[in-house]
Amino acid sequence: MRIRRTLQAAALIAAAVLLGLLTVQGTYALWNASALTAPGTVSAASFDVAMTSTLAGQATSNMTLPSGQSANLNLGPTTALQPGDSVQAGVVVTNNSDATGTFNTSTTAGQPVLANASGGGLAQYLAVTAKTAATAAQCDVTTGYAAISAAGLTSPPVAKGGATVFCFRVSLSPAAPSSVKGQAVNITLPMTARQCGVSGVC
Amino acid sequence: MKNSTLIKGTAAIAVGAALLLGGGGTLAAWNAEATAAPGTIVAGDLNVVKTAAGVWKDRAGTTINNIGSYKAVPGDKLTFTQEVDVTLTGDKMAASIVAEGVGASNGFNPASVSVSAPALSVGGVAVTNNLGPNAAVQKVTATVTFEFLSTTTGRTDVTKSYDFGNVKFTLQQVVAGQAGLL
Repeated sequence: MRIRRTLQAAALIAAAVLLGLLTVQGTYALWNASALTAPGTVSAASFDVAMTSTLAGQATSNMTLPSGQSANLNLGPTTALQPGDSVQAGVVVTNNSDATGTFNTSTTAGQPVLANASGGGLAQYLAVTAKTAATAAQCDVTTGYAAISAAGLTSPPVAKGGATVFCFRVSLSPAAPSSVKGQAVNITLPMTARQCGVSGVC
Repeated sequence: MKNSTLIKGTAAIAVGAALLLGGGGTLAAWNAEATAAPGTIVAGDLNVVKTAAGVWKDRAGTTINNIGSYKAVPGDKLTFTQEVDVTLTGDKMAASIVAEGVGASNGFNPASVSVSAPALSVGGVAVTNNLGPNAAVQKVTATVTFEFLSTTTGRTDVTKSYDFGNVKFTLQQVVAGQAGLL
């Protein structure tokens, strides 16, 4: 009985010593100090490029819709062409980014795709040419139009808030037969804007 | 008989007390004394203090006055620097300093941005812990970079934001002379 009590007392003392040692280790602390700073929040800019038809009454749209899909802008000249005639329309491409630093854009118009409406044969007699211009009025100037190469027609760099103009001209061949009279063609042109000028060149 | 015993006892006590008093008064031997002045022990100091706001700069080194209104684009590389004053005095003073980001919130696609951990330097030279005592305040600079990668495509991460939360500087004394320490 006496031995048992002695062992219990020894165990209790050992536990107390161990606890004491652990406590000392946990509170081992030399001088220390700290300071805080809040760098703040960095936000990304928007990348909005607006397109506006040079023809009165045509809608203005951003290149990218809120859904993320590409927008369509209908230039839609309704002029009826005679063989040898041409019609032109343009689109003003505006860099509307709210970037703080330099943010130039460069826009490229791809090659046109001509699709005969209602199975006609008019497309083969149409030629689409294009040029870039500084103002919409220059689209009515017939000089400077050229076929769009496989690489596309690329605008000069456009700074924030600036704009460039793409002029498109559709010509009906003088050799168009009367069989295509009254037919229609849908012409589509892909327009692609890209950022340039921050760490690279346009 | 009883009174006699009492009287004898009292007398014995009185004699003993007299002897004690007499003995105390007659303690006399050579002795001497001297005085030493150990001096005053003064504690050192350890502190880290932010004395001015941090500064953001763009890739060209231009200061950005308000990062909250700055709109970053792919290709931007922004650098934040924060200077803190470190006080370390004490003959055996040694301390390590670390800086860490706390509570950052990244709204960007991780593949679009590269954010560095805080890097510390003194006078343009990277800090190699531990710091030793210095009579003057040591200017320690923490640098954090945020790069909006130019490999970002499409319209990825437009209008997103990255909240840096806090950068915490911790100055911790270490015991000089221990193995591996200063």
